[in-house]
Amino acid sequence: MISSTVLIHPTTWFLGGAVLLPFLEKKDKLRKAVLIGIPLIAFTLIHWLPDSFGHVSYLGFDLVFGRVDRLTRVFLHVFTIMAFIGCIYGLHVKETGQHIAAFLYVGGSLGVTLCGDYLTLYIFWEMMAFSSVFLIWYRKKRQSIEAGFRYILVHTTGGLVLLAGIFLRYQNIHDLSFVQIATNGATFADYLIMIGFMLNAAVPPIHAWLPDAYPEASVTGAVFMCAFTTKTAVYVLARGFPGFEALAILGAIMTVYGVGYAVVENDARRILAYHIVSQVGYMVCGIGIGTAMAVNGAVAHAYAHIIYKGLLFMGAGAVLEMTGKSKLNELGGLYKRMPWAMVFTVIGGISISGFPLTSGFISKSMIIAAAGVSHHPVLMLMMDLAAVGTFLSVGIKLPYFIWFGKDSGVEAKDAPWNMNLGMAIAAFLCFFLGIFPDYLYKMLPYPVYWHPYNTYHLSETLQLLGFTGLGFFIMVKKLKPEPKINLDVDWFYRKGARAFLGFASRRVVPTNDWVNDVYRNIGMRATMALAKAFSWFDWEGIDWTVDGSAKGVVEGGNRLRSLMTGKIQHYIGAAVALTFIILILVVLI
Amino acid sequence: MVRLLNYLNEHSVMLKRIFFVFLILTVVFDLYVKRHEMHFFGDAIIGFWSLFGIIGCLGMIIVCKGLSHVWLMKKEDYYDK
Repeated sequence: MISSTVLIHPTTWFLGGAVLLPFLEKKDKLRKAVLIGIPLIAFTLIHWLPDSFGHVSYLGFDLVFGRVDRLTRVFLHVFTIMAFIGCIYGLHVKETGQHIAAFLYVGGSLGVTLCGDYLTLYIFWEMMAFSSVFLIWYRKKRQSIEAGFRYILVHTTGGLVLLAGIFLRYQNIHDLSFVQIATNGATFADYLIMIGFMLNAAVPPIHAWLPDAYPEASVTGAVFMCAFTTKTAVYVLARGFPGFEALAILGAIMTVYGVGYAVVENDARRILAYHIVSQVGYMVCGIGIGTAMAVNGAVAHAYAHIIYKGLLFMGAGAVLEMTGKSKLNELGGLYKRMPWAMVFTVIGGISISGFPLTSGFISKSMIIAAAGVSHHPVLMLMMDLAAVGTFLSVGIKLPYFIWFGKDSGVEAKDAPWNMNLGMAIAAFLCFFLGIFPDYLYKMLPYPVYWHPYNTYHLSETLQLLGFTGLGFFIMVKKLKPEPKINLDVDWFYRKGARAFLGFASRRVVPTNDWVNDVYRNIGMRATMALAKAFSWFDWEGIDWTVDGSAKGVVEGGNRLRSLMTGKIQHYIGAAVALTFIILILVVLI
Repeated sequence: MVRLLNYLNEHSVMLKRIFFVFLILTVVFDLYVKRHEMHFFGDAIIGFWSLFGIIGCLGMIIVCKGLSHVWLMKKEDYYDK
C-alpha cells in the first residue's frame, strides 16, 4: 500500500532519476532516456493522482504528501511540461551534476505543489532552494559563485521567516494543515508565512535576489529557475492568501517596478529576470484582488508565463551558449547567423507582450479585466502601463539589439538541434494556448466566463502595442544599451555586508585589540592590585576579625583575672552594691 | 528565412509605411468598437489607449533612463571595489 503511494508521487520519480543519473555518465543513450522519460512519466502520472494520498503520521504530526484539487492539477500540469521542455533543451549538457540539481529542484517544486501541511511544505521548499543554487554555481564563474552565495543566504533567511511563522501558527492553533487563511483572521504568524512566500515570489523590496542570481546561472539552469521558484510561490500564495489587499497593491507595484529596470538594463538575461518580477506582479495582484476571475487570471497567467518566459530564457541562453555574450551592447545583427533563435525569441517576446493569438493575450487580459470589474482602476492602469513597458523592453528592445541594430560582427551559428527543439515546443504552446484558450481555461480552479477575443479588448491591445512600437522607434537612440549596471535594493546587503566587514576589520578588530591592550596594561595591574588588596584584606581583615576575637578572648580573660583580686571584702561590697541596685530598680518600677 | 529577413531589412521604408497605416487603422477601428462594460473614464474616450500607449512608452523611457543616469547607474565593477 505504502509503496504504491510512494510511486504515484511525481517527486519520487525525479528523486529516483537524480539517484540514477550518476551511474549513467558513460552510457549516453540511457542517460538521455532518463532525462526525457522521467518528466514524461511525471506528466502522465499527474492525470491519475487521487484527491488525497500519502498521509504519514510522524512524531505526532500528520504529514500530507498528496492533496490534489483543481489548483494543484493546473500547476502540476505546467510544471511537468516545463520540466520536459527544459530537459530537452539541456540534453547536450555533459555535466551530470546540473541534471541532478535540476531534477531535485523540479522534484522539490512538485512536492510543494502537492503537500497538504506546512512541515512537508517547508522540507520541499528548502530542497528547492538548496538544489537551485547549484544551477547557479555550475556556470563556474566568479560572479556566479558569489551570486550563488548571496542567493542561498537570502533564501535561507526567507526560509527561517517562513519556519518562524509555521511554529507560531502551530503554537496558536495546534494545526499545521496548509489551507486558505481568512483575510480578517490573519495573525502575526500568518503574515510571517506570507513574507516567506513573498520572498520567493520576488515581491519588492525582497526581490533583488532574482535579478542578481538568474543572469549568473548556467544556460540551462536559468531556464529551469525562471519557471519554478517564483511560480511555486505564486501557487502557495494562491492557496493560502487570496484576497489580501496588500498583495494586490504590491503586485501592481511589482509590475511597473520590474519593467522600469528592464528598460534600462543591458544584460539580456537580467532584462528577462526583471521581467519575471514584473510578470509575477500580475499574478500576485490577481491573487490579492481575490475574486474568482482574478485568481483564475493569476493561475492562467502563471501557466502561460512559465512557457513563454522559459522560451525567452532559452533564446537568450542559446545566444549566450553560442557567442559567450549576453550583454546587448556587445551583440547586434545576429539575424543572419542565428535566425531560428531569433524567430523563437520573438515569439516569446510577442507572447509576453500579450499580442492577440498568443498565450499572453488570453491570460494577462483576464487579470487586468478582473481589476476593472472589481473597481480597481488604478491597479488596472498600472498593469496596462507595465504591459506597455513589457512590449517596449522584451517585445522590441531585446530582439532588436541582439538580432538587428548595429552589426557587432560576433561569430555565431544556430544552436544545437535539442535547444531548437525545446524552443520550438515552447513556441508552439504559446500559439496553441493563444488560439485555443479553452484548453487552459478548462483547467482553471473556477469556471471561466471571460472571452478574451472581444472587439473592445482587441482594439485596446492593438492600440497599446502599436503606439508603444511608435514610441520605441522615436526614442531608439536614447535606448541604446550601455555597459553599466543599475543599483537595486541588493545594494543594502551587498554594500552593507562590505560595510559590515569593513566595520569589523577597521573598528571591531582594533577595538578588540585595544581592549586587549587596556586589559594587559591596566587590567593586569588592576588585577594584581586587587589581588594585593585581597591579600591585605585577608591578612588584616579576615585574620584580624578571626584572630582578633581570639586575641579579645585572651585579653578579656586577663582582664577578668585582674578583677579577681581574691579579697573577700571586695566581693561582699560588690554583692551589696548589686543588691541595692536591684532593690531600687524593683521599687521604682 | 535569412533571405526574407534581408529583404525586409532592405525595404524598411515600406515597413514603416505599413506600420503607420496599421496605427491609423487601429484608431479607426476604435471608432466602431462596442463598449459594453466601462470601468473608468478612459474606456469612453476614442483612442484613449493609443494615447496611453505612446505617453506611457515615452514617459517610461524618460523617467527610467533619467533615474538611471542621475542615480542608479554605476560601472560594472561597482560591487567589486
